[in-house]
Amino acid sequence: MLELQNVSFRYTPRGNNILSHFSASFGEGELVAVTGRNGSGKTTMTRILVGLEKPSEGIVSYEGNDISAEDASARSRFIGYVFQQPDRQMFMPTVREEVAFGPRMQGLTGKELDDAVENAMRAVDVAEEADRYPRSLPRGTQQRVAIASAIAMNIRYLILDEPTSGQDGNEKKRLISLMNALRKQGITVILVTHDMDIVASDCSRVIVIADHEKAYDGTPENLFASEGKAEQWGLAVPSSVALGRALPGSPYCKDMVSFCNAYMKLHGRE
Amino acid sequence: MEKLVPLTKIILTLATAVWSLTLQTPSGLAVLCVFELLILLLARRLFNSLKAVFLLVVFAVMLGLIEYAGGGTPVECYVSAFRMLALTIIFIYLLGTVRLQDLTATMVQQLKVPYEYAFMFTAGLRFIPDFLEENRMVTEAQACRGMAVKGSFIKKCKRYMNIVRPLMLRSLERSETMALSLELRGFGGKGRTFVDSVALHGADYLVVILTCVATIMVFYARMKYGA
Repeated sequence: MLELQNVSFRYTPRGNNILSHFSASFGEGELVAVTGRNGSGKTTMTRILVGLEKPSEGIVSYEGNDISAEDASARSRFIGYVFQQPDRQMFMPTVREEVAFGPRMQGLTGKELDDAVENAMRAVDVAEEADRYPRSLPRGTQQRVAIASAIAMNIRYLILDEPTSGQDGNEKKRLISLMNALRKQGITVILVTHDMDIVASDCSRVIVIADHEKAYDGTPENLFASEGKAEQWGLAVPSSVALGRALPGSPYCKDMVSFCNAYMKLHGRE
Repeated sequence: MEKLVPLTKIILTLATAVWSLTLQTPSGLAVLCVFELLILLLARRLFNSLKAVFLLVVFAVMLGLIEYAGGGTPVECYVSAFRMLALTIIFIYLLGTVRLQDLTATMVQQLKVPYEYAFMFTAGLRFIPDFLEENRMVTEAQACRGMAVKGSFIKKCKRYMNIVRPLMLRSLERSETMALSLELRGFGGKGRTFVDSVALHGADYLVVILTCVATIMVFYARMKYGA
């Protein structure tokens, strides 16, 4: 269990809190969306989780141990982070060597290393690109290479910072399918996103950060259930949810398939 | 001092460099350092730059100590330290009070440097903070993959290559994008104009004249009194 306990963060001792008295815990196999307005503190929260920032107050704990003082390289043994611009970390001549970088830092060698790399590449479906130069790949594929690089380190948590930003529909679907596959393996995926369609259709839990505090922590269904609840925090309502609200009985429609089913059911055509 | 045009500030900077190399006594160089701090004060940059000045002082002290350890006399150590300070403090004034676009305009219009070279120089200065930020971001990305720049000096250098390589690649990509962006906006064409004027005014001429007089006096003092 990875936990933030009453965490506050500010850049200077007398500065304003970027994050205030934030508490949350992350179990196994969840797909958690972290969302909120720009500047609300979403990225700061994930940076504190991964160790790039140290909390000004409160603690970060993993399996009951206080890891607040551990830096990012130490926490990389169980938590991975994929930046919005994955090419920031890429410099190896091939995808295989790029994915092998993290496990090598952990001290893996020989067959153990090769197996970790091959399994990770297969898991994200980049095995065919193994010998290609990573920086020449399309952005969506680079994203998957970065994810492979993280999961090759045998992590339990994966943070993705706006992974669907600028991606086409096909690539988004591949990414969502990958996130669900990782969930089934027991890896918790924490997704910083503004894409409410994904939040509604695929996430098991949503954390909304507003005014630097946790405003909501629960299911997407509950978040979008009543009109105005999500909107008060500047969140867009997914089209399927909005359409569902317009139907008699206002059924919750997490995606367009659900909406179509609800619509057909209403009109007696299943 | 703040409102002087870039050319005047460049002349003042060059003059203080000449003075610092001409003066040979600790007292003379110390007075020059105080004069430069006064310039910073008048330009309202002194209190913003205290950290930078402090670091320069620390470096100057280290230089003096190295000179002493190398067999220099106390006077030679003081001269080295004060000279280093005198050569560098004035640049805080120059770079802190001159906008890069005005520096480019001065280099092109008054110093007759071809625009491409002037732009290259100021673009290089402009991208230093971007480069430092990029370095920080790449370091964080690699840290998230388990890379810690720790251990012996050799180990640290080897590990730091994992930051240098992606940093170089991103910098090359950025400069290529910038070049394309410049070309698409007509860079290199004839008849280029500048938004602001960098022509000298009354106060600038006064400062330039005083600077010339002071330079002559420094040379005279050096020849007559060995100052």
